[in-house]
Amino acid sequence: MDVNRLLAEHPEDEFSSTSDADWVPGRLQEILADLAHRPVPVGSMHRLWTLSELSAQIALAYLAVWLRQWFSGAEDSKRRLMETNLRVALKLFHRLGYLRGAITKLGQAAGNLPLLLPQQVTETLDRLHFASPPMHYPLIREVLRNEFGKGAEELFLDFEKNAFAAASLGQVHHARLQSGEPVAVKIQYPGIARTIDADFRNLSALLLPMRLGKDWESVKAQFEEVRRMLNQEVDYLQEAESTRLARELFRPEDGIVVPRVHPEYSGARVLTTDFIQGLHLPEYLATNPTQASRNGFGTKIYAAWHRMYFAYMPYADPHPGNYLFLNDGRLGLIDFGCVQHYGPEEREIMRLADKMTFEDPTLTREVVRRVCGVSDDDPALADYLEMMTESREWMMEPVSRPGPFDFGDEAHFQRGLDWFSRTARKRITRANPMFVYMNRSIFGLKALLFRLRAQVDVHEVILQERPRLSATN
Amino acid sequence: MRITAEAKTVTRQRIIDASTSLFKADGWQNTTTRGIAAAAGIATGTLFNYFPTKEAIAAALVAEALKRANEEFPDSQSEESSLEADLFTLVWSGLCNLREFRNFLAPACETIFSPLARQSPASPGDAIRVDHLEMVDAIVTAHGVPGPRSNVTVQLYWTLYLGVFAFWAADDSPGQEDTLALLDQSLKLYVSSLGLDQGMGIYGRQ
Repeated sequence: MDVNRLLAEHPEDEFSSTSDADWVPGRLQEILADLAHRPVPVGSMHRLWTLSELSAQIALAYLAVWLRQWFSGAEDSKRRLMETNLRVALKLFHRLGYLRGAITKLGQAAGNLPLLLPQQVTETLDRLHFASPPMHYPLIREVLRNEFGKGAEELFLDFEKNAFAAASLGQVHHARLQSGEPVAVKIQYPGIARTIDADFRNLSALLLPMRLGKDWESVKAQFEEVRRMLNQEVDYLQEAESTRLARELFRPEDGIVVPRVHPEYSGARVLTTDFIQGLHLPEYLATNPTQASRNGFGTKIYAAWHRMYFAYMPYADPHPGNYLFLNDGRLGLIDFGCVQHYGPEEREIMRLADKMTFEDPTLTREVVRRVCGVSDDDPALADYLEMMTESREWMMEPVSRPGPFDFGDEAHFQRGLDWFSRTARKRITRANPMFVYMNRSIFGLKALLFRLRAQVDVHEVILQERPRLSATN
Repeated sequence: MRITAEAKTVTRQRIIDASTSLFKADGWQNTTTRGIAAAAGIATGTLFNYFPTKEAIAAALVAEALKRANEEFPDSQSEESSLEADLFTLVWSGLCNLREFRNFLAPACETIFSPLARQSPASPGDAIRVDHLEMVDAIVTAHGVPGPRSNVTVQLYWTLYLGVFAFWAADDSPGQEDTLALLDQSLKLYVSSLGLDQGMGIYGRQ
């Protein structure tokens, strides 16, 4: 893919009729209108699947908004270059309408950032977690046959043909095992898992303009991490293992429930777990819960996140669709597709960052060197040190105040977003790949607690959970 | 000597069985009508009384498999099933019945189902096309979309069907999951096009 050729193909004056401020939405509208009527892509690219038009459109809109965040405060010349790149990117998306799986995943991540996006967009993205286009029963039957050699009628005592929820590139059905136990059966759309690598090869063309920059190696490594995690997310065998490991971390007295996996009814494309009855966040909020109830759930969400984090398997996608609010006050965690599993190098970095955050701020330079690969004589050192210090301060805000911290404090959340925007504007992109999902995870957690308006005694939780870090290797 | 209808049926089946074995063992290109006749224990001339060409034998195999799919169809449907789901069941059932012939069907069907072939009742593929389209039409009508279908939507369906068929014949994905996805997406496209016949096109009411 020759980006220079594409740049030449779409000269600046193509958009001259609209102002800098609104050309993207205007252009997007045209592109999205066209996308809605695109034929099924079945040519040489083998794009045999299409997610819902709505999800693709909203996700694409999000992507444009997100990209603009990266250059809204840049110098004029830089901004023009970046806008040109964005135009090319949009053109590519326009032409390669099959990149919808990866885009949809990006869109889902955006659902957790209520201040970054207009409320309508956030709400629509929320619905995406539960409203992917359904697979009809004959198709499901064949997916089950492929996986187990049997259809649903033979496998289960009963199986509800209509899905009750959408999942990561699939959908979830109620069923009962032969023993009568109620279960949730997650089924993936056929063929979608094998498309991710091909999608990423195409997406990587968008990064070509960056390949001459000094940040290229780091960006490439982070991109590779996203590809690896997306592949992991569609591997339900891996998710089954992550679910099993997470389940071992919690005790009944924690009030946190992780469903049991039924391995004999699970495979690479089908995952069967206990069914947990509970409300999703919007339904729970609609019951007008008391502050005490919100605080109770908020504390469990915060504790669950830290329990997994300190077990070196952070919950990398804490979006609302992954949490259930049970009537008896327990919290259900139901999706473990996006869980990182840290190896020795990541664990060492994590321990160092933890020590800097909680014990010794003078380690900041060492963390910048290890995490971002920025040496003492690097001209960007000052920017990276400032970024790391601000990050630490924001992270410590809830911890540094005694008593419950109000995660509904908009100013706190906004400071985090401001930090993120500043980091993006300054193009501070060098980081160990583990932080791609760590940042998403932290923002996701805080966004969730913000929407919940929960007050959490962070001190108490950290006091209980942090010792696990030194107890595990 | 007068040959009874029963004897004719037996001979016809012998030819089909012998052809299937040879197509599977030697491939489509390497199998000749002479070889089929020898394997079936009949004279080559006799074979031509039953099937004028090698393509006609392959067409008979396809027709039999699709006929079985048609016969199986009514038993597997429920009232709440959607049009897309019913069409999916019909097409996939036909492909499943053809699975054992898959390796040699692709070259055979290049001739039988060539989109550029002149359509005539005498062509081996035409009877299959007509039978299948009639079945599809009956299912669509049963879902409350009255006929007649326009030539455009009928041709759209058949083009999509042949595309799925050709793809399936060479699909090496696990469990042929790519064909499942292609069939699903193709039927979505076809069903959305039916609105055009009712003045409810994809661009809204005309």
